[in-house]
This record gives sequence, C-alpha cells and structure tokens, in this order.
Amino acid sequence: MITQMQVKGLMFDPYNNAYIVILRDDDQVEMLPIWVGKAEASSISLALEKVAPPRPMTHDFMKSYLDAFDAKVISVVITDLNENTYFAKIHLMYGDSEYTVDSRPSDAIALALRSQAPIFASESVIRKQSSEELGQWLENLKPEDFGKLDS
Amino acid sequence: MDGDSSLGSGPLIQLLVDRVVEDPATDTRILVLARKDGGLDHFMVWVGSSEGEAIKRALDTAVTKRPMSHDLIKSFGEHLGVTTERVVLTDVKSSTYYATVFLENKGVTRTLDARPSDAIALALRCQAPIYVTQDVWQRRSGQQLDAWLSKLETKNIGAQEV
Repeated sequence: MITQMQVKGLMFDPYNNAYIVILRDDDQVEMLPIWVGKAEASSISLALEKVAPPRPMTHDFMKSYLDAFDAKVISVVITDLNENTYFAKIHLMYGDSEYTVDSRPSDAIALALRSQAPIFASESVIRKQSSEELGQWLENLKPEDFGKLDS
Repeated sequence: MDGDSSLGSGPLIQLLVDRVVEDPATDTRILVLARKDGGLDHFMVWVGSSEGEAIKRALDTAVTKRPMSHDLIKSFGEHLGVTTERVVLTDVKSSTYYATVFLENKGVTRTLDARPSDAIALALRCQAPIYVTQDVWQRRSGQQLDAWLSKLETKNIGAQEV
C-alpha cells in the first residue's frame, strides 16, 4: 500500500543545522519529515515557489535530460526507512516501457515537483516513523524557525 | 558580435579535471582544469560547495550509500540507453561559464544547456570527454590566479593535517 503525500513545507532544523521537508497525506493524518541537505532544500524550495533560476540548477538539468528524450516521471515513492535514512524510487515512462530508478528522497521530490508527478510514501515508511515523537519536536519549534529559506 | 561564441571557432581543447580546491574565505570550491595536451595553463571555474563536492566524489570514485544527484542522472542514462558523449564549455558572460552536454540515444543526438559543474560532474561519472572552445579558453580568467591558488593550497594542506 502507498499513500499519496503533498509537500507541505520546508523548515530549518536549527538543532541539526539541516533542513526538513514535511510531507503530509491528503487527509492530514500522516506526516513524514525528511531531513535533507542545504543544496537539496534550496532546490526543493525553488520548485515550491516556482522560481526559475537564471541558470538551470541540478534538478532542472535532470528534468531537461529526461525531457530531451521524452522520458516522463510517472511518480516517485518513498519506499524505505533504515537507520534514519530514507530511500526512494522514481518511476519513469520511456517509450512503451516503465523503469524504476533508485534515488534519495530529496532528488525524487525535487524532480517530482518539477515534473508535476505525484509523491507517494509506502505504508511501512509511515508506520516506521514515529509521528508522536515528531509532534513533540514540532511543538518545541518557534515560529521564526519556519522562516523562508534563503537559497 | 564579440560576445557570441560558437563551436566552430577553431578546434576544441580537451580538458581534464585536475583537482577541486576549497576556498576557505567563501563557501565555494575552485575547480581546476588542465589541458589534456599537457599545456601548462590551467582553467579555473568557481562552483558552489555541493557542486564541488559532487565533482570531488567522482574524482575520488567515492561510493555513497545512496545515489547522489549526478549518480541518479547517470542511472537514468543507463536505464534509458542514453550516452553522455561529451561536454563543452561554450561561453562565458560576466564571469559565468556556460556548458553544453551532448547526449546520444539510438543515433539521435540532443544538446542540453547546463552549468559547468553539472556538466562536469556528469561527464566524470560517464567517462565522457570535457572540452572548451578556443574562444572561452582565450577569455578564461585563470592565469593571474595561479600564484594566488598555490598560496591558498599551501594553507589548505596545513589545515587538513590537523
């Protein structure tokens, strides 16, 4: 079973000096926080805000690589969580065939947002991540932690 | 016009990635490219830290637990049968370099506009040659920086040994 998720936002995690992508399901029941690096966060932020940078960033280049041969991103799936590391798969349609490519969630999400492709999370990933713990953690965050990313 | 450049302005010069140097003053990396024909002059491109690290990992043939962004692009190519034929540094405007990536699939060639950092990070992973046009080579801003760079690297070596 997989659940469709939306990117609800991007936050700075001052305790780990990293960024968190917040995914939520359509019913707002499940939440999946994914820690990503600064460059990846910046790329996701540009896509969320629909900002076209003057030069193609890595995921813009990735998208145009696929576009050049009419390969389409059908969907991306956050498939696994292992020792605090998430794994993802990108599903591509090329010609009459479907291809599945292993990826980091940050790349998958950055590419999905640029391709208007849906993002899913597998049930096991949602089950594994403890939302209770996250809720507590989120409550401790101050409003200014939710500030915009400066890329 | 003077600012326009094309691939047809003389033979391309093949470059090799010599090293990636950390610029401790700013959060950037300096990509040092050398001529494959053994010419002594270098070609330097300033890139972001994550882009510089992506190139360094390819130089070091470092293996990561999960595919990084350019490993993913390479993996797309392997799945779809797309070959990265070569990358060319085609232009420079206001100190910004422009690159073109040449891709091939079933006899069809496509060209993509890219930043040099992405082009080179992909080329290294695909064993594709890296070229610069004569025009861009002439207009590079590297020569007078050689002395500065060697000073920087001396400092870096000290820092790394700590």
